[in-house]
Amino acid sequence: MPTFTLTVNREPRKVDVEPDTPLLWVLRDALQLTGTKYGCGVGVCGACTVHEGKEAVHACSISVREAAGKSFTTIEGLSAAGDHPCQKAWVAEDVAQCGYCQPGMIMTAAALLARKPDPTEAEINQAMSGSVCRCGTYNRMRKAIQRAARAGR
Amino acid sequence: MRATRRQFLQATAGAGTGLVLAFHLPDLLSSDKPFVFDANAYIRIASDNTITLFATRSEMGQGVRTNLPAALAEELEINLSQVKVEQAVPGPRFKGIRMRTSGSGSSSGSFTALRRAGASAREMLIAAAAKRWSVDAASCRAENGAVFHAASGRLATYGELAEDASRMPVPGEPKLKEPKDFRLLGKPLLRLDGPAIVQGKATYGLDARVPGMMYAVMARSPFLGGKVKHFDGSKALTMSGVRHVVPIKSGIATGVAVVADSTWQAMRARDAVEIEWEPGPNKDFDSEQYIRKLQAAHANGRAYPLRSAGDVKQALAKAAKTLEAEYEYPHQVHAPLEPMNCTADVRGGSCEIWVSTQTPETAASEVATMLGLPAEKVLVHTTLLGGGFGRRLQSDFVHEAAELSKAIGKPVQLVWTRTDDTRHGYFQPASIERVRGGLDANGKVVAWWHRSADGGLTVLGQPSAEEKNDPKYYANDEAPWGNFDNFYQFPNHLGEYIPVENPVPTGPWRAVMYPATVFARESFLDELAHAAGRDPLELRLELVRANKPIDIGSYHIDLNRMVRVLEVVREKAAWDKPLPAEKGRTWGRGIALNIYHGSSYIAEVAEVSVARDLSDLRVHRIVCVIDCGFAINPAGIEGQVESGITWGLSATLHGKIDFRNGGAVQRNYQDCRVMRMDEMPVVETHILPSSERPAGFGEHPVPHVAPAVANAVFAATGKRIRRLPITPEEMRRS
Ligand code: FES
Ligand code: FES
Repeated sequence: MPTFTLTVNREPRKVDVEPDTPLLWVLRDALQLTGTKYGCGVGVCGACTVHEGKEAVHACSISVREAAGKSFTTIEGLSAAGDHPCQKAWVAEDVAQCGYCQPGMIMTAAALLARKPDPTEAEINQAMSGSVCRCGTYNRMRKAIQRAARAGR
Repeated sequence: MRATRRQFLQATAGAGTGLVLAFHLPDLLSSDKPFVFDANAYIRIASDNTITLFATRSEMGQGVRTNLPAALAEELEINLSQVKVEQAVPGPRFKGIRMRTSGSGSSSGSFTALRRAGASAREMLIAAAAKRWSVDAASCRAENGAVFHAASGRLATYGELAEDASRMPVPGEPKLKEPKDFRLLGKPLLRLDGPAIVQGKATYGLDARVPGMMYAVMARSPFLGGKVKHFDGSKALTMSGVRHVVPIKSGIATGVAVVADSTWQAMRARDAVEIEWEPGPNKDFDSEQYIRKLQAAHANGRAYPLRSAGDVKQALAKAAKTLEAEYEYPHQVHAPLEPMNCTADVRGGSCEIWVSTQTPETAASEVATMLGLPAEKVLVHTTLLGGGFGRRLQSDFVHEAAELSKAIGKPVQLVWTRTDDTRHGYFQPASIERVRGGLDANGKVVAWWHRSADGGLTVLGQPSAEEKNDPKYYANDEAPWGNFDNFYQFPNHLGEYIPVENPVPTGPWRAVMYPATVFARESFLDELAHAAGRDPLELRLELVRANKPIDIGSYHIDLNRMVRVLEVVREKAAWDKPLPAEKGRTWGRGIALNIYHGSSYIAEVAEVSVARDLSDLRVHRIVCVIDCGFAINPAGIEGQVESGITWGLSATLHGKIDFRNGGAVQRNYQDCRVMRMDEMPVVETHILPSSERPAGFGEHPVPHVAPAVANAVFAATGKRIRRLPITPEEMRRS
């Protein structure tokens, strides 16, 4: 099996996997970073969202071949101690129900706020609507994003 | 956090002696063992002041890992930040304690038992301190994890008292705190798991990692109940990382498992397995034909009486006006975001399982039977659940993983792909409901005749021939809910049920039987109100007036609570105020009520707007008023209500599963759509203060949504929706 090198959470990592392996499974199975979740496998639920540079991307839809040489941040690397403004706002608004979607949601929201520190409600909806929360925590999530935006002002 | 195989083994070795470990917390196995006072099954106090509370229900988002500890901590006089919450592993420690998480009873059901457990431990600790200081127990008080004696200023922490307390007699009737003295209960509490969740550290079933484990997926029969006739795994076995190709006979969607070194290697090799299927008896099953069969059954099927008052047929014959309508409810799938999965390790005459399940005890005993192992050789660790919604009350996926691990002699994680999870499972049954009603000249409802037809829940099994012969069989079973326990006061009332066998495996889904029956009941009431030229809320108010509590089967219902809920919703939803006028769209409001198992009284009002050309429906606002008894954790209830309403909206606007040629058509979240943020209405929850016994709230707000929205669509457009989901096509068809 070929070896690929990519940067994950600011560290270079080498993995031996098939070239078509989605980044999602590289993270979860090869690197044991299980905070990135599997929900649909085809880019329609957002559970696997990570950052490529500053952009939110679906880890299930990028092969390791494409990922090689690039730099990614996962939920485990978003902040040193769980203190990213989104993480803090999420806890304060008590967003999570089952919590399974939340790492992906937080990564999506963090990328939005990096790009647009003060998003409108419509911009929040648009950025977040690629993601599924089957527990239906959307309204609290929107509030958490607004709270994180306020904290950043 | 991952734990090693050795740690798991140590933990299991202690299970019989009361040392029960959740695999999240292997650090408890340090070498200097503190003294441990196991006050009862739920509470452990160690001499190093570690206080452990055991969660005996599964956390699937409803907050039990917060609410149950809160009940213990309240009485034990400790703060939630002082405790470790561990997930209970079924075994002798929890003998006699129900560990099944269903019926939204997980917070309400154990509430008093847990308070007693906390109070009893508190009394033992106080008794130990009083004895040590030779003072009267009544002069000591517990606070903040310690016992104080004010007169002498003495203090001892629970840890210091643990050993002595373990020798104190267990109080028979511990004294519970007065609700006015509550510090935690009844106040908004943040989820204890919150910080772990937002850092990606929370461990779900799919995150279980066991040394040496393999990963597997299955090629599953495309036909309901189909089987493998013949398979050839040789091509798959040549693919990278693939170790085994094994037929699997247990579970509900049998097939062939591909086992590999990683999940992806198993997934990519799955299509390379050549399989010839034995399609079985359902190869032509088509859900549209099944719907027609349900419709036909209304004409010629056997109807079992559920309820009867007065003489409906005569009242209909004499009514000034009669109405009749048929409502169609499709099959629905749970689609929790974490697909089904299970990690099993069956080796050397024992079995260990890591799984997100609502029912670890049942899973353990079923697997023990299946593998022919003694019960104590099967350990089930419950992880967090990435959504349960009733699907995880079944253990089919646990059976599969155990069968597979046994076959390969290695630990293995078997994952259902999203497509597996959408196409297979225990669906919510489709139904056809037919309601007839009669109005007198004053617009009063004088007759109500509701017939439900569906296939029931197949997980419950089919009734025996003898049971089928018993005309009271379904009435005694108090099902279908929503028809049987219809609480409206009609002078002439007949409720009936027609069972029509359904080859689709079906089981509990959020709110179980209520959604279909309540959709019909609340829509038809709206139809009657409009036919009588009356306000739908007023009409309901008239029908829930009763001067004394009523009994329906085993349910004791106080309709005054429903009256109060209705009055509050009228005000909060501004029911009597005009709606916005908007160019190109029309607005409407709709209402629906339900009482869930006699205990949660809920009304919802939906506000919608519809484009004049019916091309688009938007739900703007849902106001929910709920009386669910004493509110243990109001913030949690609010979250659950919002969650239930979103769930109801998914089913109302998008959800359904069709079956063609023996299998489910939908495959993933693209064609089995669920709500997303951009479609979310404002949700307002009003919890009425109550001192009644706490009732559930997790699934209770679900059934109202479809009829409230459908009634609002009627108010906006004059289009009566009698079939779900409410799509633009459906609005145009109506
Ligand atoms: S798992 Fe990647 S978008 Fe769903
Ligand atoms: S919190 Fe459960 S899927 Fe979002």
